[in-house]
Amino acid sequence: MNFIINLFTPFVEFFTVVFKYAPKFDKAIIYTLELSIFSILLGTLIGLIVTTLKLTKFKVLQKIAYFYISIVRGTPLLLQLYFIFYGLPLIGLEFNSFTSAIIGLAFHSGAYISEIFRGAIVSIHYGQEEAARALGMSKVQSFFHIILPQAFKRSVPSLGNQFIIAVKDSSLASVITITEITLTARQFSAATYNPFPILFIAGVYYYVIITILSKSLKRLEGRLRVDER
Amino acid sequence: MKDKLIIKVEGLHKSFDNLEVLKGIDLDVHEGEVISIIGGSGSGKSTLLRCINFLEKKNKGNIFINGKKIKRSANEINKLREKVGMVFQRFNLFPHKTVLKNVMVGPVVIKKKNKEQVEKNALKLLENVGLEDKADVYPAMLSGGQQQRVAIARALAMEPDVLLFDEPTSALDPELVGEVLHVIDKLAKGGMTMLIVTHEMGFAKEVSDRVVFLHEGKIEESGTPTEIFDNPKSERLKSFISSIW
Ligand SMILES: Nc1ncnc2c1ncn2[C@@H]1O[C@H](COP(=O)(O)OP(=O)(O)O)[C@@H](O)[C@H]1O
Ligand SMILES: [Mg+2]
Repeated sequence: MNFIINLFTPFVEFFTVVFKYAPKFDKAIIYTLELSIFSILLGTLIGLIVTTLKLTKFKVLQKIAYFYISIVRGTPLLLQLYFIFYGLPLIGLEFNSFTSAIIGLAFHSGAYISEIFRGAIVSIHYGQEEAARALGMSKVQSFFHIILPQAFKRSVPSLGNQFIIAVKDSSLASVITITEITLTARQFSAATYNPFPILFIAGVYYYVIITILSKSLKRLEGRLRVDER
Repeated sequence: MKDKLIIKVEGLHKSFDNLEVLKGIDLDVHEGEVISIIGGSGSGKSTLLRCINFLEKKNKGNIFINGKKIKRSANEINKLREKVGMVFQRFNLFPHKTVLKNVMVGPVVIKKKNKEQVEKNALKLLENVGLEDKADVYPAMLSGGQQQRVAIARALAMEPDVLLFDEPTSALDPELVGEVLHVIDKLAKGGMTMLIVTHEMGFAKEVSDRVVFLHEGKIEESGTPTEIFDNPKSERLKSFISSIW
């Protein structure tokens, strides 16, 4: 009898902690969601703008776009966040921690998103633009009515991947004092001396957020496929 | 009315890098005329059509559309393309739009016309090419022949003065060629001005007012279908015709 109780005690203790602390993540979850959503939206906007720069015929603008991308790709996100939060104030550019995180995360995913868009745009068969131009469309009309909608559809799977990465990357905002899920988990771990159930909670929350996100993306993909055989 | 010039090509030269593809082409297309362009692969047929529609920039020579000489300004070229419809070998329908929207997009986006009016007209055009029941279907669900007929309707929706066809049936399975040729034939009988690059010699003979034989970037011979097909003069045309029949 004692033997069986001994076997179950750790589980009971584990889940007691889990159920006690899980609700205390409410603010942390909101932070994580806000960081993810803002950085995805802003990152997509940045991505679109940078794609346009890359596709213009102005060499200077192209150079700027590629310089930006090489910086983002060539340095760790962690360092980028430190730089924005601790470095920029030294030259008079000071943002609060939340704004810094959004800027850092958005600039980061914007670079990757712009590459996704560019790839999708150049993958559209040139016959599409020719047909549009032959009808009498201007370059701009053909881009917005013919090329971009097809490119957007083609970019959804990789875009979805990038969105999932953005959710995970939001955990790095913990290093600049934002009490999102990861930092909250660390604080509770330290307070309870019991990291295992606490980290378990954090993991479950991330998993649920990402699963919901990827399910919605799959549904969007499905809906965009109506024009396929 | 057969006298009105729709297209006039004068001394047209076109090179890609060092490769001279068109070596001085002169061609008049009058209103209501159907002209077939024949010639071997690589003789410059597509390039000629693409120059007329400004998808390629000419190197030398003049192109007049409706008596107007074309300058380089993008605006002017866009306006001109509205008057010159083009049908491609590979259809190039817009896959993200339904058949109806493919036909509507030109007038709606470019001419900013009233949607209801455009839709009515588009449905009529689809009926003319025998596809009114496919209006709400996406191009991927259509056969090649059906797609090409939609492409013709799409070009007609802009009410062009002339239609250019670049081997409209070459990408089709043999059993689908007839339905497309039938539509083109109907257009010819309706008085549409057309310039058709084709390898369908029987069709060219039947539908054309004039046939132009292109060889290595020059017009080697041109004339009525009877002159070209039954009494070819140049050796090259003779051997081309015997090779293709
Ligand atoms: N964009 C291009 N760049 C370089 N060469 C080209 C291009 N388009 C066509 N050509 C060349 O021009 C020649 C004529 O091509 P084309 O007009 O397509 O011939 P056709 O339609 O009569 O078969 C070919 O030798 C082809 O390789
Ligand atoms: Mg060709």
